[in-house]
Amino acid sequence: MLVTKPVAELCALLIDELHGELPSRIFAILLSKGRSNLTQLAQYTAMTPRQVRHGLAVLQQHNLLFYHVDPSAEFASYEANADHAYNLVRTGKILEMVDTSFGPAAKDVMQSLLLSGQTRISDLVAAYREKIEQANQTAAIIGDDDDFGAETNGVNGDSQPAKKPGPLVKSTAHLNTLICRLVEAELIDVVHSKSFESPEDVLKTVEKEVMDKHFPAGVKGNKAKIELQERIAEGLRKVRGESKSLKRKLEQNGGSAAKRRKLVAGLGGANGVQDEDMDPALDPRQVIRINYEKCLVDLRNRRLAQYATDMIGETTAYVYGVLLKLLTKDLPRCRANPVMDAGDEKDESEKGTVCVTTEQILDNLKTSVDLSLGIGKAERRQVSSTAAEKIELYPPKKRVLIEEAEVDGEASADEDEGDNESSEESEYDSDYKAPATNGANGTNGVNGTNGTKVKFDESAAPKERRLDRPGQLRQHLLILSESTQRFVRHCGPDEWTVDFVPVMNSLREVELDSVIERTCGRQGLRLVRILRAKGKLDEKALPNVALMRKPELQQKMLEMQTAGFVSVQEVPRDLKADVKKSFFLWFCDVDRSLSRLLDTSYTTMVHCIQVLEALRQKERDVLETTKRTDVRGREKDTMRKSYYERYSRFLECERTLFAQVMRVDDLVSVLRDF
Amino acid sequence: MSGRGGRGGRGGRGPPGNGRRAVAQNSVPWAMDSDIVLDGKPSEQFPPYNVPKAPLLSKKEDKQVSYFLLFREQCQDSPLYTQARSRMQASARTYGQEQLNKRYGQTTKATVDPFTAVPMYSHKFKTVPRTLPDLGARPFAKEFFPPELHATLEGDDEPGGGGPAAKRRRVGPKTLGLSSITSYKTAEELFLPGAQGAHAQQQGANLDKALELLSTVEKRNADGDEEAFLSGEDDDDWVKGNGEDDEDGVADEDDVYEDESGDDYNAEAYFDGNQDDEDYDEGGDEGGDYF
Repeated sequence: MLVTKPVAELCALLIDELHGELPSRIFAILLSKGRSNLTQLAQYTAMTPRQVRHGLAVLQQHNLLFYHVDPSAEFASYEANADHAYNLVRTGKILEMVDTSFGPAAKDVMQSLLLSGQTRISDLVAAYREKIEQANQTAAIIGDDDDFGAETNGVNGDSQPAKKPGPLVKSTAHLNTLICRLVEAELIDVVHSKSFESPEDVLKTVEKEVMDKHFPAGVKGNKAKIELQERIAEGLRKVRGESKSLKRKLEQNGGSAAKRRKLVAGLGGANGVQDEDMDPALDPRQVIRINYEKCLVDLRNRRLAQYATDMIGETTAYVYGVLLKLLTKDLPRCRANPVMDAGDEKDESEKGTVCVTTEQILDNLKTSVDLSLGIGKAERRQVSSTAAEKIELYPPKKRVLIEEAEVDGEASADEDEGDNESSEESEYDSDYKAPATNGANGTNGVNGTNGTKVKFDESAAPKERRLDRPGQLRQHLLILSESTQRFVRHCGPDEWTVDFVPVMNSLREVELDSVIERTCGRQGLRLVRILRAKGKLDEKALPNVALMRKPELQQKMLEMQTAGFVSVQEVPRDLKADVKKSFFLWFCDVDRSLSRLLDTSYTTMVHCIQVLEALRQKERDVLETTKRTDVRGREKDTMRKSYYERYSRFLECERTLFAQVMRVDDLVSVLRDF
Repeated sequence: MSGRGGRGGRGGRGPPGNGRRAVAQNSVPWAMDSDIVLDGKPSEQFPPYNVPKAPLLSKKEDKQVSYFLLFREQCQDSPLYTQARSRMQASARTYGQEQLNKRYGQTTKATVDPFTAVPMYSHKFKTVPRTLPDLGARPFAKEFFPPELHATLEGDDEPGGGGPAAKRRRVGPKTLGLSSITSYKTAEELFLPGAQGAHAQQQGANLDKALELLSTVEKRNADGDEEAFLSGEDDDDWVKGNGEDDEDGVADEDDVYEDESGDDYNAEAYFDGNQDDEDYDEGGDEGGDYF
């Protein structure tokens, strides 16, 4: 993989921060020199082969390398995995995400896994067993102490349990369950023999295999070429699918655990203990590691929900979050690989896009969330229900006009007619209430009762209570699909889907806009928007369109040109290309400004970490003191006041700098990865 | 400038400059406007500048940063981390790989600071930085490493070719290694402010109760107990650290000293430190180590 200079620097700095100087040096060399073997690396870095071997081992353990051993050659050649190196900066986000969606214990497991790189399950279990035993022992000792203490003064006894919270992972069975959950969520996957082949190598081997097997006489004709492509894509998918073997095995063992859990919960015993017994024991020889691709999908969901919060409101965004979670359950990655997923796409259009029904969303909503919030009131005659209920079967580009019209008529017309007669005008909600949802409410009675119960507690107005949850949910979904950002597509009666590409494009544009506003002010943003709407505009025409004075405008445009948001094109009027006579056209190229923004972001991140390094140099005597074994852990007691102040100030700076890096990474992930 | 302008182009400069200078002489502000008051002050070196400030961290971001920092702390505690920094200064621009490589490997015996290299009492609390990752300390899934690294993973990759003696020595830590994956409790306590705060609060509550229930004498007794407990823990830590140091010392071929001015030989601080330590005297063996 090729990376730009700032990315290479950033990756090296991150590895330096987390894994030390030795691996970082080797990684930097691998990025700049490309594929190399051990002797070459030793030569480039001027280190001893022994040092290089150690560094490579660390990098490999943390999944930061690709390597390839040619059967004919005796040495392996190494390549840097820049994606994984960049993802190190997202560690905090991933851990926080796992913490909120799977609980602190799962976060603990994830953290150990991140910390140790690729790990055999048996090793992980052994490590946890030891930790649990240790914790038990110390608890016993403290308990003894406390008994003693209680006898003497009777103080410590009652406060003891709170003081020593047990280990987060309670037993190896608990650990097993946690790993199963994470594997099912695809956040953890299995390391297999091809995991560390670089994508190019995998492609090459698959190509060779296909050629040997199916086309021994060579490829002739267009048909054969297409077939070759398909077979290669298939082979690549097979290699990729190997990492999901553990998940498949879990699914074969009596369906998804989530389903079982729901059954258990339905019986009333939603206890963790019962769950643990039902999970199959994992093969201890399997080696697992974190799957960044899926983590990115989940992070994207969160980002989109945040976007919806900014644009619409919290309750709606919560609904959107649930919808996204359901929708992306089986989505392995944010961006489809052009080679591998070419065939997949075809399948997808045949079997129809993935969509979620209103009922599914309703089942997954927390009953404590009051859905009546965040919906506006409007006179029902002010709302055109035909337009609101419009069903779009196809993603924006592929839309077929005739079919759309047909579906339109079928879906909404008669339902609305029926409602028109039955409902009162004040209840604006009821005309969205499709008969189907009503039925659903009746069938899964558990949810219905739960919902009403909560509302009895919370809502004061009796009228509100009559608005049922499915109806309100539909309101939220319709708001989402009606918005200009096209958060959701209403792809069938009560079926919803998300077209990620246009939504992400609009999010990217919003990010760009906010950057423009911050650098060039509202005026600049306004000019950019005008240019976007009008296309290319002549220099002389622009003041008239923008209603601004010429000198001001020119200054602003120049400012934006230097920042890279707009550019100018010179079109000569005749052959002589006289400057006075030629046109100057202002235009803004969104893609170009986005890529420039991305590059600036990398540089900013590098800069932040470099500033941190400089700070460390400056405060080096303080930091040296904190590393001492007698000071470590109780800095406040042992250090002198001035030192401690300097130390805490440094920690504060460090926090701010890393926070800045993570914020910039938010931007980078929106621009590059989502 | 204006004085010389009158002499024309005689100063060795070419005649074309002549005309321009005459113009310049007449068009300087004070020549055109005699009432002008010249402000002879130099422009301010650091004019006030409105520095854009990032908004404060939200709760979520704060959590993310804490998790990242905790993770980093744990990483740096793990046996795979190479602590030694051989780089001297970061700022100089380098051209080419050779110059870049020269930046590293600068902290050797020859570059030791003679003022702090004198053995001091507090040096025994210093951890000797690892120059190479301690690969022998933990198990690996070897099938996913290229064959040429297998010996390294075992920890057999010694400069002398790895004699039987070296192998025997490595057998011990291999079993120890497992625990090291999970031994990051210290970092957690250090960097999760919530945990620390809770602990402190707990102690505060304890003391309050003690006030209510016990006489002052007994309370002091309780404090003493706590101290003893703390110092006991510390002792363990210290012993363990020392053990590791020894191992590292044998394993490392080139010694790296990273002595910075730790303010250890500051006479004034010496006495200040003693005053601070009054509270800890009951702790026993570590009366004079804090400063």
